[in-house]
Formats: sequence, structure tokens, C-alpha cells
Amino acid sequence: MRDAYVLGAGQSSFGSFPEETYLSLFDDAFDAAMDSVDTAIDPEQIDEAFLGTLGVGGRQIGLSGPAVTEHLGLHGVPTTRVENACAASGYAFRQAVTAVRSGLVDVALAGGYEVMTDASSDHTRWWLGVSGETEWERTSGTTFAGVYAQMASAYMDEYDAEIDDLSRVAVKNHGNGAQNPKAHLGFECSLEDASAAPSVADPLNLYHCCPTTDGASAVLVVSEDVAREHSDTLVRVAGAGASSGRVGLFQRESLTSIPASVRAGEDAYESAGIEPSDLDFAEVHDCFAIAELLAYEDLGFCDRGEAGRLLREGVTDPDGDLPTNTSGGLKSKGHPIGATGTGQVVEAFKQLRGEAYVQVDDPKYGLTHNVGGSGGGVTVHIFEKEGMEGSA
Amino acid sequence: MRGLIAGGVYIPRFRLSSDELETAWGTSHAAGVDQKAVPAADEDTLTMAVAATERALESTSVDRAAIDTVAAATTTPPLEEGDFVSRLVRMLDLPANVASTTATHHTAAGAEALSRALDADGTALVIAADCPEGDLADSDHPFGAGAAAFVIGDDPAVAIDDVAWHSNETPGIRFRERGQRDTESLGITTYERDAIREAVTSAATSLPVDLETATAAAVHQPNASLPYRITGDLPLSPDAVSAGTIVDQIGDAGAATVPIGLLSALDEADDDDLTVGAFFGGGSATAVACDGSLSVPGVERIDDTEPISYSTYLRERGYVVDGDVSGGGANVSLPNWQQSLDQRYRLVAGSCPECGGVTFPPKGACQECHARVEFDEVDASRTGTIRAMTVIGQGGAPPEFAQLQQQDGAYTAAIVAFETEGGSVTLPAQLTDVDPEAMAVGDTVRATIRRIYTQEGVTRYGVKFTPINDGER
Repeated sequence: MRDAYVLGAGQSSFGSFPEETYLSLFDDAFDAAMDSVDTAIDPEQIDEAFLGTLGVGGRQIGLSGPAVTEHLGLHGVPTTRVENACAASGYAFRQAVTAVRSGLVDVALAGGYEVMTDASSDHTRWWLGVSGETEWERTSGTTFAGVYAQMASAYMDEYDAEIDDLSRVAVKNHGNGAQNPKAHLGFECSLEDASAAPSVADPLNLYHCCPTTDGASAVLVVSEDVAREHSDTLVRVAGAGASSGRVGLFQRESLTSIPASVRAGEDAYESAGIEPSDLDFAEVHDCFAIAELLAYEDLGFCDRGEAGRLLREGVTDPDGDLPTNTSGGLKSKGHPIGATGTGQVVEAFKQLRGEAYVQVDDPKYGLTHNVGGSGGGVTVHIFEKEGMEGSA
Repeated sequence: MRGLIAGGVYIPRFRLSSDELETAWGTSHAAGVDQKAVPAADEDTLTMAVAATERALESTSVDRAAIDTVAAATTTPPLEEGDFVSRLVRMLDLPANVASTTATHHTAAGAEALSRALDADGTALVIAADCPEGDLADSDHPFGAGAAAFVIGDDPAVAIDDVAWHSNETPGIRFRERGQRDTESLGITTYERDAIREAVTSAATSLPVDLETATAAAVHQPNASLPYRITGDLPLSPDAVSAGTIVDQIGDAGAATVPIGLLSALDEADDDDLTVGAFFGGGSATAVACDGSLSVPGVERIDDTEPISYSTYLRERGYVVDGDVSGGGANVSLPNWQQSLDQRYRLVAGSCPECGGVTFPPKGACQECHARVEFDEVDASRTGTIRAMTVIGQGGAPPEFAQLQQQDGAYTAAIVAFETEGGSVTLPAQLTDVDPEAMAVGDTVRATIRRIYTQEGVTRYGVKFTPINDGER
């Protein structure tokens, strides 16, 4: 099996943009991805596209993928729309990697888009509940905030964790996002602010929840030959893992772990041939503060119940041993559902090329972790910076 | 001889005092009513009927599969036309071939249902549940809520000697126009009182018993003074009337008031006591004579109450809330919901014949071994433990729960674990009848049936959980 490389990656600004559409936002992301390539590549070289979106708001429910590529002028390019809730573009990226590795295509476009802020509040709440398990979880009166809050309640009960342990996620990620001009909520917050915010779904408050966001992201996944032809710095997809889990939290073996994250992480580490301790940075799925804590433990950054300590000790701060969510994460950068997975890849790409807004010192390995729903589908990818003379 | 084998009473926990009512309106049109019971936003006559019947059935060895007849009585079924008693049959797990009837249309409906059960063969259930509504400024004042259930059979604890009837056209006393929410009265005081007294006197004196010996009489009681006035021509003592009067504590619960009064009197009675019931409604009076006593679960909890303000009353009863679902509801089709009723009402789980693991709901692959199997049905315990919970505040609810939240405030959504023969299963459900702040992971809760949400005019009912109070089983 041959290797896949990230040749370019870019995103639109994330935020609330009443004047934009999913088409125009993806235009911005695509342009940014093309501009990030060292030696320009002709769009006509794109063989196939995989685009993720949940389709919040309805709008173009059918065939939105082809609508995007045709709007871009990628005329006739086979395009598949991928739907796996918040992991839609994590999975779109996985499809692109698989396509390149298979030898079927040399240049694949992976990406995602979502417009979430243009609907009435009632309509938005309807959409925020569509990826929970519908027959039982939804009809117990929960949207996503409620389900993650249930995980937080179980976690806090099991490990005697405190509200501040959740709030430190917000403080750290806002600190990073404040330096990212494309972040949705690019401001800093104090621990006091983050712990005193109004309740959304107890024990989660406003600062423990990511925003609803408009945005798009795009990544060019290419073969080694194409990568060497167009790039000065090779970013290899070193490891790929993915796993499904029961869609309803109540159907899973654990309420304080996302089992699909554990499985996807193990597969990614094994295929990359590295350990969690080899990582130089990570972008993890922090849709709610508790999700970042669970990610630390599910992905082997620490033992069970130790995530709060990692945050307290600054291990995942930009100057710590394992800087996490240097982009601001979903919390500060924003969470345009379908755009989030490839949005994380954008940050990994920038870090490994030394172009990040919050730059880690000369990283070699980075990880992205994208969760659909409350854990029904997860992708984990590991990226490696190669020297130009290095081999795959 | 037929009569009562068992009984059960359910009164919602909220109480609105007449003082609160008077503060709100400057007057109270609820003579002698100290406080009235108020159903919570997720309660109605169906859920109250189920709660009372479960209490009655728990107090007896009668097997619900052996019940031959079910007769329900209410003036306020949740739907003017549609499923009522058939829902009770599923919620109570009664046999599908049970003979059923719904008496409605007037406050003596409970007598009609009781009479049907007495006339039937075998074991019968009589369930009266009601929560009338009226003009807030006036007729609503005394209206309360509650439910009573009777298990009727041969060889009873309380023999019902006879039923006597009197019928006459007396319009304008209490009526509700087609399509209207408010129960009205024209308030022609003397005419009304005379008509009721004449009918009740005629029915009661037709009973083959010496009324003077009655120790209790549950008499038509739209307020707390009328029972004394309409029995003025009968040799019933004021003490007897008082023993059967419950309206002062729960308000006028329509067709359920006399049945609740009757059960509460029988709960206090001695074995050789005579208790009389006298119903009136729609121009008809019915009198029954009951010999004996009965311990009735639920009566002891009538005083177990939570006072509410008038504004809370308006919200809980839905007087000030728009019920439309805005923004789209949950995509669970009615056929799918209907297929899951055994789970939603009775927590029926599936046991895997290969690994013995338990799966809830029992659909798809086994949650333990992931094999595709035909599950064996197992009933989960009705009590469980909270494993995770959250409180959904204003604005955090999916649209189909926005109305509940406007009426009842923030609600708790929990994941509850239940034990079965094959191990524990978990399901997500709301807690109800509880202060969200008072609950925590690890607390034990009990299953009950409540309204879940209403969409396209159809209310979905299903399991919710209530805290287990001290002293309860």
C-alpha cells in the first residue's frame, strides 16, 4: 500500500456569516488550501472529492457535495457527500486517504462545510438533536449538550472531578483561539469567567460548550509523487484509525469513555508505529469540555481519571509536553459540524510546516481526533513531517 | 355477592390553596375548598388512572392477566375522540381481550363504570380519573384532580349490596359545549340545588339499607358545602357526610371525586360499617351501599403535598402556554413508537439466548456479544439507579419539549440502570415529580408512566422516573 500525503490545507474564517452560503464558504476554504501549496497545482488535477456535512438547516439535503464542486468549477469531478454528524469530514478525509493509498487516485479533495447560524432558535435546536439516538435519547428530552452533560455527571461522580477541571479546557482553548484570526470566538477567558457562566445543561455551562458556527475547510490529499513535485515539506498521513460505536450513550459499556475513540486511537497509533508519548501536539474533539477530558484518557495521553491533572499541570498548554488544540479547538475556533474534521487537519498541516498561529517547537508527529455525535463514529489520524530525502 | 376486592387512589402532589386563589382573583368561588390538587404538566387523566390502578393492583393478589372487564370514567379524556381505555389496557398490561368501556359526559360517570363492573362476570377494574377545567375567573376555582381505582370481583372485602338510580332532565347545572375546554354552570342556585337534592334523595332512599346506620357517605361534592345541603332530606348524619367528603383537600375532581371520597371513607371504616356513595351528574343520580372496610393504598399520601403559587398553577395546567411544536419535532414515527410500547410502558428487555446478556431496547444485535439473535423477553425491575444526569434549562430542550419546559420548568434527563435476571440495562429518561437540584448520580428511582411529548395532535406516553421517598417500598 502506498502512502498518502497532505499537500495543502485551508479553511474559511469560522464564525457567524449571514452573508455567506455553504458554497461561498467552501470557495474560501478551497482557495486557502490551494494557496497553501508550495508549488501551485492545477485544480484540474483533482481526481475525486469527498465532502462532509451534516446539512444543518436542511437547505440542499440531497447532492450538496456535487453542488459544491460544480460551484467551484471542479466540473465533472466525482464527488461524494459524507454524513457522520460531527465526524463527517474526519471520515471524508479518511475516504480521500484510502482512495490515494489504493492507487485509484493521485489527487483527492477532502473537506467539509456547515452553515448553522442562519435559522430560528427553535429550528436550530431541532437540528442540534438529530444526531443523538432518536427513539430513546432524543425523546428523553436531550440535545447534544444534555448527553455530554450526562457523561460529565458520571465522570465527576466517578473521579471526584470538579467544575474547574472542565473550565480549564475553556481557558486553555480560548487562550489559543485568541491568537487565531480565523477563530469564531477569538477571545481569552479567565477561570473565574469560565466557571461562573450560566448553565446550559447542568453541570455544563456556556463556557463548557462550543458555539454553533458557519465555516468550511479543505485538504488536498495526494500521492508521494505529487507531494514531492509540489511541496518543500512532506506531511505524511502516518496513521489512520476509525471506529463506530452505539449511537446512544445509554447503549454503551461506559459512560466515562468513548469506546470508539479508544479503538480508533489504538488503530492509528499501531498503523503509525508510534506511542502517544511520541506525539508533539494534538487536535482533539472538544465540542464540550468533558469531551476533551475523555479524549486525553481515551487516546492514552494519561490514565483514567488523570485528565484534570494534565490540565492543572499545563501538560496540554502550548508550552507543555503535549500541546492540545493550539488552533483554539472547537470551543474557541468554532464547530461548523461538517467542517470540523478537516479543520483539525488544517491545524496539523500548519503545525508540521511551522506556520501555525500558536506554533509548537519543531514538531514531528501530530494527531487529530474527530468524534461524531456523542461517540457513534470516530476518526483518528496521525501526521508526520518527513525530510525531503526521507522515504515513506 | 360482588364488591370491592381492592382499591387505589392517586392524587397529584401539587396543591393550590384557596388563599393563593383568592390573592390572585380577590375572591374564591370554591366554598369550603381549602386547597385543590393540580396535575403536573406531564399528567392527565390517563396517567393518573394508571397510577391509581397500579396502587390498587399492588395491594392484591389479583393477576392482571385474569381481568375480564375494565370500565373507565372521566369527563376529561385527553382526547375528545380517540384512544382512551385501549391505552389503559396497554399501560396496565391488561389482556387484549378484556371487555372495555369508557363512561364520560357527566360527573356520575364513575357510577356507570362501577355498575358495569358489578354486572359483569369475573374480575373487573373500575377506574375514575378526572381533572376538569373552567373559566379561570370563576368556574375553574374549585376544580382539582385525582383518580380512584376499584378491583371488583366475587367474595369481596367490601360487598356492594345494591345500586339505585334516578334520572331527570335538569339542564344548565354542569355542562361543556362541544369543542370547548371550560366546564360551565349557569349558577341558578336554588334550581340547581333542588334538582340535585331531589335526584340524590330519590336514589339513596331506594337503597335497601337503613341510611341512619351509615357511618360514611361520599356524596356529589363540587364544593365542600353542597354535600350537606343536598342530603338535607336524608337521614345521614353530618359526621357521615364529612367522612366521605374529600373535595376540601383535593378540589372538585369531576367524575373521580365521589369514588375517591368513597375509597378514603372505606379506608377509615370498620368491618361492619355501612358506607354510602351518592353520585350526581347530567341529570342522573346513582346511589350505592357498601358493607365493610378496605385498606386503600394512596389514601395515606393525600396529605403528601407540595404547595404551588397561582402562576405555577397556570403554567402547570397549560392555561398560559402555547402547545405548538415550533422548529420540528423528533423524527419518531407513530408506527415505530407503537412498536416500542412494551419497552416504554413496561421496560421489557431482551435476553440473549447465546451469551445471556441483556439488551434494551431488545432490537438489533445483542449489546453484549453483538450476535444477531431472537431475544427472550425479560421484565426489568421497576426501580433503578441513576448513572448519569443533567438538568435541561430554558432554551436547552429540543422543540418538542419546549412546552413541557415552559409549563414545568427545567427538567432532569437521566440515564437509569435497571436490574434484570440477566444483568443490568440502562435507558435514558426524564425524572419527574422532583426538584432537579435534589437528585444525584447513585439515587434510586421508580418507573411511572407520563406524557412524553405531543406532536401532530398525538401525545406520546412513556416511562419517566420519580424519586423513591422514605418509607416507600
